[in-house]
Amino acid sequence: MIKLKDSFVELKARERAKALLDEGTFRELLGPFERLESPHLEPQGIVPECDDGVVIARGTICGERAVVISIEGSFQGGGIGEVSGAKIAGALEIAVKDNEEGIKTNAVIVHDSGGVRLQEANYGLLSISEIQSAIVALRNYVPVIGVIPGKIGCFGGMSMTAGLFSKIIITREGRMTLNGPEVIEQEAGVAEFDSSDKKMIWNTIGGAQRQAIGLADVLVDDDITTIIDEVRVAVKDGKPSKLRSKQIDLFLSRIKNVDPTKPIGPMDVREMWSKDEDITVVDAAKVEQTDKNELVEKVMSRGRIWFEKLTGITELKVSDVPSVLYADVNLGKEQVRYIAVVPNPNNRFPRARKGEVGLEEGWTVAKYVREVMEEDADKEKKRPIIAVVDVPSQAYGYKEELLGIFQSCAGAVDAYASARYAGHPIISLLVGPSISGAFLTHGYQANRMIALDDPGVLVHAMSKQSAARITKRTIEELDEAAKKVPSMAYDIKSYSTLGTLEDLVSGIDAESPKAEDLETIKEKLIKAIEVTRTSGIRDLSNRLTSEKALTGRAAGIKVRSRLKEEWN
Amino acid sequence: MDISKLTNDSRRSWTTRREKKARQIAKVQKLVNGQVIPTDKIVEALEALIMPGDCVALEGNNQKQASFLSSALNQVNPDKVNNLHMVMSSISRPEHLDIFEKGIAKLLDFSFAGPQSLRMAQMIEDGTVTVGSIHTYLELYGRLFVDLTPNIALVAADKADAQGNLYTGPNTEETPTIVEATAFRDGIVIAQVNELTDELPRVDIPGSWVDFVVVSDKPYQLEALFTRDPRQISEMHILMGMMAIRGIYERHNIQSLNHGVGFNTAAIELLLPTYGESLGLKGRICKNWALNPHPTLIPAIESGWVDSVHCFGGEVGMEKYVAARPDIFFTGKDGSLRSNRAMCQVAGQYAVDAFVGSTLQMDAYGNSSTVTLGRLAGYGGAPNMGSDPHGRRHSSDAWLNMITGESEIQRGKKLVIQMVETFQQGNKPVFVESLDAIKVGQDAKLPIAPVMVYGDDVTHVVTEEGIAYLYKAQNEEERKQALAAIAGVTPLGKESTADLKQRLRENGVIAFPEDLKVKRTDAKRSLLAARSIDDLVDWSGGLYEPPAKFRSW
Amino acid sequence: MERLTFEYAATKSVPKRAYVGVVGSGDLEVLLEPLEDKKAYVTVRTRFDGFEQIWKDILDRFFENNDIAAKIEINDFGATPGMVSMRLLQALEVSQDDKTQR
Repeated sequence: MIKLKDSFVELKARERAKALLDEGTFRELLGPFERLESPHLEPQGIVPECDDGVVIARGTICGERAVVISIEGSFQGGGIGEVSGAKIAGALEIAVKDNEEGIKTNAVIVHDSGGVRLQEANYGLLSISEIQSAIVALRNYVPVIGVIPGKIGCFGGMSMTAGLFSKIIITREGRMTLNGPEVIEQEAGVAEFDSSDKKMIWNTIGGAQRQAIGLADVLVDDDITTIIDEVRVAVKDGKPSKLRSKQIDLFLSRIKNVDPTKPIGPMDVREMWSKDEDITVVDAAKVEQTDKNELVEKVMSRGRIWFEKLTGITELKVSDVPSVLYADVNLGKEQVRYIAVVPNPNNRFPRARKGEVGLEEGWTVAKYVREVMEEDADKEKKRPIIAVVDVPSQAYGYKEELLGIFQSCAGAVDAYASARYAGHPIISLLVGPSISGAFLTHGYQANRMIALDDPGVLVHAMSKQSAARITKRTIEELDEAAKKVPSMAYDIKSYSTLGTLEDLVSGIDAESPKAEDLETIKEKLIKAIEVTRTSGIRDLSNRLTSEKALTGRAAGIKVRSRLKEEWN
Repeated sequence: MDISKLTNDSRRSWTTRREKKARQIAKVQKLVNGQVIPTDKIVEALEALIMPGDCVALEGNNQKQASFLSSALNQVNPDKVNNLHMVMSSISRPEHLDIFEKGIAKLLDFSFAGPQSLRMAQMIEDGTVTVGSIHTYLELYGRLFVDLTPNIALVAADKADAQGNLYTGPNTEETPTIVEATAFRDGIVIAQVNELTDELPRVDIPGSWVDFVVVSDKPYQLEALFTRDPRQISEMHILMGMMAIRGIYERHNIQSLNHGVGFNTAAIELLLPTYGESLGLKGRICKNWALNPHPTLIPAIESGWVDSVHCFGGEVGMEKYVAARPDIFFTGKDGSLRSNRAMCQVAGQYAVDAFVGSTLQMDAYGNSSTVTLGRLAGYGGAPNMGSDPHGRRHSSDAWLNMITGESEIQRGKKLVIQMVETFQQGNKPVFVESLDAIKVGQDAKLPIAPVMVYGDDVTHVVTEEGIAYLYKAQNEEERKQALAAIAGVTPLGKESTADLKQRLRENGVIAFPEDLKVKRTDAKRSLLAARSIDDLVDWSGGLYEPPAKFRSW
Repeated sequence: MERLTFEYAATKSVPKRAYVGVVGSGDLEVLLEPLEDKKAYVTVRTRFDGFEQIWKDILDRFFENNDIAAKIEINDFGATPGMVSMRLLQALEVSQDDKTQR
């Protein structure tokens, strides 16, 4: 007879948090009776939940001060909206502050989230960028421990968030993936990913596979005691010596060794990745071959046009990953690094040929950011980094998910956030679509963001077609909802009401900028760098203090201030 | 009267059926190799073997389908083969009705039409199908031996050998019954098999009962109909399950039983090793089962609750598990399950203490029906289980427990338990003024309304509100009051009052969770012995192999 | 989505507040708080429109049997009436249970 297990998966978010904290120490912050619900759901005819699906609990683990953040997967699929996102980000931000002040506070996040709550769209995406920023800061003090029990797991931007965790404890039922199978099927066709093939899905993105290929640390049975024990071990172990999101060379070499023209399955990855513990150098023959074959066709895109005009460089030396451009040039009186992701019709990975952020792009962006950090390590004045943003989406493909595109994106997020915390001013220039996971990867970690006021500049969490399929609404219904909730709109004007943009620049020819356009933008960039330096703010808190944010992010601000009141 | 005149003058042949069979078989001698019909000659063979107007038994029940033969029958030329009288347990596949549209068949006697119930109702109304009768399984099997003896049987088996011996294995179901009725009155038995082999694992049906075998192009269709994913069991199912265990199983000492396929009963199966154990009931109740190999019964079996299980049919994925538990299941020398639908129906009707089922509608008198407007689903086996067999003479605690009178001559009663939530999804009340079945019956010109379980057979009704012990009601009026008291805010429920409920509680005619010491806040999914299909796989030590559609990781 | 409100006269008091359920498919959350005045106020937000009468029936009956002075808020994501009644009674159990801490 087998031992009857006490299921952790079956527990609701609140019970999960209670289970993980030392007995009798659970204290909920912003609990249900405070009724901090989403203000955006009822106007769309959706019933809200009084805690917006996130439980923040203070208490102790192994006697040490801790905060547990637990997402309720049953409410709106654990989707992150303005309030729920602010609860998570706010709690992490206070934990950072505690630790900065010498009060050690551990953090455990129980992930059960489909990603951005599409009914709040840009609020979710923005919150996730802030959650990610806080995790990167907090990891310097304590391990940020992720528990992924299922039934949902973590999808979308929240999988990238998991890619930043110090340690991941997962069950076989937990899933980690950037793009859900339904979205890939919608975007790339059923031949790319059959969302009805459950067995394949689990074998690709399920906890056992993720742990086997090193994208999660501990595979546990769905048993309360076992999970509590593992969390305690993680707290006691403290900060790990290696973080996945920093292992750029390892992952890039792994991906280089994959031949995207051939089919590859979960077991192949297990085999390939179990042998390469110490490989940091790519098979030389292969690289050479790639160089020869890669006759990179140059396709002009807004990202490339702006990159070339701003840097003055039109003939870049082709690198390993030709879809990621970088150059160090002078802007005003100092050298800055520009980074752009651009289309490469010859991309080794077919799903990343139109300027999407794919497996190689995420890690390569990370590499170029880290280079700057290393070169400037001893300098007092850190080099600014300017992300030229024109990213239609992340790459939607089976191989991308199998090989952990979320981890690649997390690598870039980590790099940008780390550079920012190290004092590099990070400025994003939005010249084209800035969508979803691609934007989180490249641009959303910036201190300041400047956007062109142009119909081609869009910010959103998911293409309309996919959003309609996932939320079971028509595109017309989505457009109608966007009229009531600006965060659901795609246009940059609506987005600017959130108060996140440093500047929305009108009168610029976005397609073919003239000399005066360039001058205007350069001036704006210089000013943004200056403002960043003088403010001394290295986290993302300035996003909440703009005039527009006072109304555009009222709920997020309120949540944070209430959290502070209840924290101790 | 001159007796010699009656016998001799008639010059009657006593072997017309035998002669007809011989003539038909002679026609296909060129097509066949001994007893084997080549796969690509099946349509031609059927056209030669079946005469217009023949009575044809086509195997198909709610799980296993002679799908190759049914599609072959659908391809015969209606000019050659027509006006057949079909006898079928289940109308499941489109071609089962296509043959009526083409005129290949005309008259139909059946038992269940679940998957085709909408089209069925339409075709009866249009006159495309003439229905003889709608039966329960046992009635239909019975009539095979009385007035519906087939000229032709089209059945399915896993394997055959060259002598026509058949192996039907775990999915034996009703094949032997149909074959017996046909073979022993000179009908022609044709079996589709997945495979021809030299040596069978065991013989389920002797070759001398079988005339022809044909290897099918694809294995016969088999549905996993009795697999309930524990994921979908709600706290409500659990609450009702806890009430049933305390208020019925324990109270009446139920030893042997049959469960329907709903989530309520799946919840009970998964509560036995946890909640049942905590009540100290292991070894005291629920020992002998007439039940398909429900995956949700695995934890109860593994934790030692179950002595025996006899099965109507198999269940996809349960083959290895069953084979590894021969003390519990009926298995052959080869190790695999031997199911038998007719035998298990008899067991479920006569030999068990209790039947636990569910329904879509129930009227104030406890009559229930799964018929909804526009659909004619028939009965299947539920009425056999869900009725009190008046021919029963052996007694058991539970059976005797149902005696309420004091006269010297008394009969006990089988417990017929219905478990329903007061409303279905979409806020449709389950308790209704009048069953939809009445109108459906009138539209289809049926002689009686298609009632699944008659109220006077029902001894207990369980809702989320409580239990009505209908067998204790003094009269019709009190039955109605008891039902109303647990009918929530349905129109029937609103007839009840607090005072009335109190009186019924005091008299023990109804019980609420608090009367049974069941706490609503205890009704949590963590109480289930298995919370997912994967947990069931774990319980079985990996022997249970669920079909892909039920798998998660 | 529909928003409904109900009011009842009440006599009994409840010891403490209670929270049960989740706004998930076929489920609902119930927030129950004791009130000083002899009244009960119920606010319902429900996913499906047009079932006001059933909500009234459920609540009428609940307060007929459990005459409590309380503020109750219900957020419903398509639960059946049976589920609603069960959650209400669970909330009542929690509010009266000394051991359950919420």
